[in-house]
Amino acid sequence: MSGSNVWTRSRARMRLFPELLAQCSGEATAYGKCVAATTTGKQELTKNTCVKEFETLRSCFQSAAKKGVK
Amino acid sequence: MNMSVKSLRCVSRGWRCFSSRQGGAMNVFDRSMKRKQKEWASSLLDSGKYDYLRDEVASRVADRVYDVSRTFPLALDVGCGKSHIAEHLSKEVVERLFLTDVSDSSLRNRRACEIPTHCVVAEEEFLPFKENTFDLVLSSLSLHWINDLPGALRQIHHVLKPDGVFIGAMVGGETLYELRCSLQLAELEREGGFAPHISPYTAVTDLGNLLGQARFNMLTVDIDEVQVHYPGMLEVMSDLQGMGESNCAWNRKSLLQRDTMLAAAAIYKEMYGSEDGSVPATFQILYMIGWKPHDTQAKPAKRGSADVSFADLSRIDRVQTDHQKTNDKS
Repeated sequence: MSGSNVWTRSRARMRLFPELLAQCSGEATAYGKCVAATTTGKQELTKNTCVKEFETLRSCFQSAAKKGVK
Repeated sequence: MNMSVKSLRCVSRGWRCFSSRQGGAMNVFDRSMKRKQKEWASSLLDSGKYDYLRDEVASRVADRVYDVSRTFPLALDVGCGKSHIAEHLSKEVVERLFLTDVSDSSLRNRRACEIPTHCVVAEEEFLPFKENTFDLVLSSLSLHWINDLPGALRQIHHVLKPDGVFIGAMVGGETLYELRCSLQLAELEREGGFAPHISPYTAVTDLGNLLGQARFNMLTVDIDEVQVHYPGMLEVMSDLQGMGESNCAWNRKSLLQRDTMLAAAAIYKEMYGSEDGSVPATFQILYMIGWKPHDTQAKPAKRGSADVSFADLSRIDRVQTDHQKTNDKS
């Protein structure tokens, strides 16, 4: 398929993903540590166990994306 | 003339319907989707940059072919892709080679090699060859997408000549466990449940049974691990897509939410990342060698034919030299 369509646009957005994630490495590490702790400890992983860390990660990611677009 | 053409068309359509239903009881993978994925991957302009894994495994399979000190007049490469094994083989070892794959654009973009080759677009589960045709059948990294693996192995056994050998490599065991676990944990935390995103693999313990059931002899199964380091989870997934290894199981979830993707990338890096920031992806490759039975092959000794006793274990060095004289078969 040539030209701009939903697949090329979404793939172009996905290509920016690693750089944006790299800008939020601190928040990503914190979220990862929270989830990893549930695999070793007694606490079971259920929905929204680490929601606080994830919300900080997502807001950091979204602000990085907004900066990138400008 | 018209009647015969129409009847031919009916027969061919019937064969296709029959073949799509007859996958045995197992119908795990959507084979037409796999063909589309392979066609897409091989028609990419930069498809060469995704070939590293296939090239590495193909060179190891070619090593195993060289280990068998024989010349093979006619060989078959099942699921050859862009023909990665043939470029490592020489005309002295394999005289003529047939390449088969489901995707014809892979065959069109195949690598050059010095062996004269013939290309056939064929399904791995329905090899269009007569019995006792080939001296050697090769397969590198394509058996893990087959629905009816016992049936495919039986077909390979069928097309082999007696005393022919099948040398194969397939992805199995704990391949991509890092990706699988990261996605599972992320989906569990973000969505409350998880769906399979990685296709199911054969365990190494089952492979010996499968080969034995297909009536192969003198089996050799070994496992090798290839670990590739990537900058992050997204690169792992895009490389898998570029290789034509996207999931095509019927039970795959067609959507991966953005939140889940973000969470899984963070988990992957944290749980499996190394100090330099890269993340590993493990590919466990199962190599198998099986022979079609023939009278010249070594058979287990008959009961009661022992001429040494376990009680003689203390005199083992004297016993061993005697044995070497009697067991002189190459």
